Amino acid sequence: AHTVLYITGLQFVLKLTPHTPAASPSVPGQEDIQAAMPVEELDPSHYPATRAAKVAEHFINTRYGSPFAWFGSSGVKKAGLEVRAKLHFTLKEMTRNQDMGLCSAEVLFHRADERKPPQVQCTCSGAFQVNTSAEEEDLYQRLRNATSLLSGSDIPNSVGHIDPEMAPFWHLGGVASSFIMLRESNESTLLNMAHIDNFTQMETKDAQLMFQYDILLHDMVSQEILKWKLLLSWSPDGGVKVLEAEWDPKCRSCERAHLTVTTGIAAEQEMKGDNNNV
Amino acid sequence: MKWCHVRDVLDFNRHRGFFIDGAGDGVKFSMFSSAGRALLLLLLLLLDCAADRSTERNYEYTKYHPMPEISAWMQQMVEENPGLVSSEVYGTTYERRDIMFLKIGVDQDGVQKKAIWMDCGIHAREWIAPAFCQWFVKEMLLRYKTDKKVGEMLNNLDFYVTPVLNVDGYMYTWINESTRLWRKSRSSPPESCSCPGVDLNRNFYANWGMIGVSRNCCDNTYCGAKALSEPEARAVTEFVGNRSGEILCYLTIHSAGQLLLMPYGHPQIWAPNYDELMRVGQAAVRAMGSVHGMEYRVGTSPDLLYPNSGSSRDWARLIGIPFSYTFELRDKGQFGHKLPEDQIQPACEEAFEGARVIITYVHDKAFHNRTDIGAAGMAAALWTSMLASCLTTMLLV
Repeated sequence: AHTVLYITGLQFVLKLTPHTPAASPSVPGQEDIQAAMPVEELDPSHYPATRAAKVAEHFINTRYGSPFAWFGSSGVKKAGLEVRAKLHFTLKEMTRNQDMGLCSAEVLFHRADERKPPQVQCTCSGAFQVNTSAEEEDLYQRLRNATSLLSGSDIPNSVGHIDPEMAPFWHLGGVASSFIMLRESNESTLLNMAHIDNFTQMETKDAQLMFQYDILLHDMVSQEILKWKLLLSWSPDGGVKVLEAEWDPKCRSCERAHLTVTTGIAAEQEMKGDNNNV
Repeated sequence: MKWCHVRDVLDFNRHRGFFIDGAGDGVKFSMFSSAGRALLLLLLLLLDCAADRSTERNYEYTKYHPMPEISAWMQQMVEENPGLVSSEVYGTTYERRDIMFLKIGVDQDGVQKKAIWMDCGIHAREWIAPAFCQWFVKEMLLRYKTDKKVGEMLNNLDFYVTPVLNVDGYMYTWINESTRLWRKSRSSPPESCSCPGVDLNRNFYANWGMIGVSRNCCDNTYCGAKALSEPEARAVTEFVGNRSGEILCYLTIHSAGQLLLMPYGHPQIWAPNYDELMRVGQAAVRAMGSVHGMEYRVGTSPDLLYPNSGSSRDWARLIGIPFSYTFELRDKGQFGHKLPEDQIQPACEEAFEGARVIITYVHDKAFHNRTDIGAAGMAAALWTSMLASCLTTMLLV
């Protein structure tokens, strides 16, 4: 039995029942049983709410992120768990430190199969899209008209410094990483982009700009650093798309079966019929 | 540094605005009349000119320092503050480097005083932590004469501060960009495995190896071949263990996540003073949040983050040290462990306020039998300490 506690406003009340640790159920159909149970209220400061909010953050970035718009959750206000986590959180656009208002999201973790990525639905109260069209167009034109291909490395550097001209490419890496992090998240992960080893602009013939990124992700739960190679495209009209992604395992981590070498993520999503919506 | 030029003082004041930002409780410079402002500036100028050239003022606390610079700084702290600062080597790392603390407190003719322990940098990549230990020492020394409470605490207590516990790991992270995110110690792997290093914060004799660890030596939460396999963990265990009667509080500093973690790392084991730890912890995170508006959360590790075992925090509580906390400083994932240098000051300011609340409570409980955390008292202390911090920071330019 669960004790459901009522949360008023922004005051938190600690749950009295011990948290049930997440575990892959061995009984098929357990998801259906759990769906019939009442919503278990989550403490917004506890990790199940934090991890679900991080997944919602990745989802928002895949939808709305750009070199000038990079989103992060600034505080979970309310959270509940049935099969899915329902949460309310304040959203912030991080490149300008701009408050974007309150979002409500549902994050469905597939407990029966951890390899299935979480499903997210999300609506936000404030004006979701920041007006970045001028900067995006400016950057796009500069890169299109440049005589040489751009590249960069070690972002941020050891002391956390980022050259201002590199900042949009840091944000771009963060947004592109969100596609991977969204896919790779489960109830036992809390993923962030830790570092861009390097990125290189690639030749393209069409309107999209293309970049190869070598990125390090950090999982707070295992404390591991995960190396990914991404091929991504961007244009102001086309948005950010990850074309190819490859995990670079060190031999000793080869047993982590759920982290797979993937290619053509965008195509895969189209084939599956994207279930995520806002 | 041009200490005594009026223009520099004025420029600095203009940039700083000399107002305390954040929770809206601040005082704006513009509130003072122009005569008042002139007087204040004159006072600051006089303070600037009278400032000595001591290391606590001249060292760059808002930059990250490699180990040799930190060691040199520690040496200077001792030399420039006789009777107040001493140091001791209390262990040796795997690669045979000294592990050293600074002991801050008024020397009471060699009498063994009650004490508070703080260690930083148990995880190599968490650079803001050693930066905070250095900041903490600086703040305590600067406030010794100006802050009555700090003065009282330095008389009654000794503070053992280890700026870098995992010296080998910290030095490794300074080699180049590819080593920057190393976390563990640098000990050689066991025979059956090929990667170096043990997670020092899983290696302590506290429910060792039971939960939240990896047995794979290549993983970042590898707990070691056995408890206390690592000399760094042994060093803390021996020193603190021998003084567990005197040590009132154990603080261990990490990044990131903006959390204050209480014992224990096991989801079904609770400290007997859980309520008190929570009450003091809540006061601490409130104080931290009020400095720059950053949200910190308090709770046990299994609640806020993940279960774990073998942590130094758990071990300290288990041997009877009543107050034991892990600080996880900024940020929440945007920069992660690579916190930019322009955030060192605000991160340290808010962490200092949190530590201050805990230390003051622990001190007052021991010496005045006082266990209330009055809101008024805290606000007054906060105002005093922020004013002092603003002044002292300005003196550093």
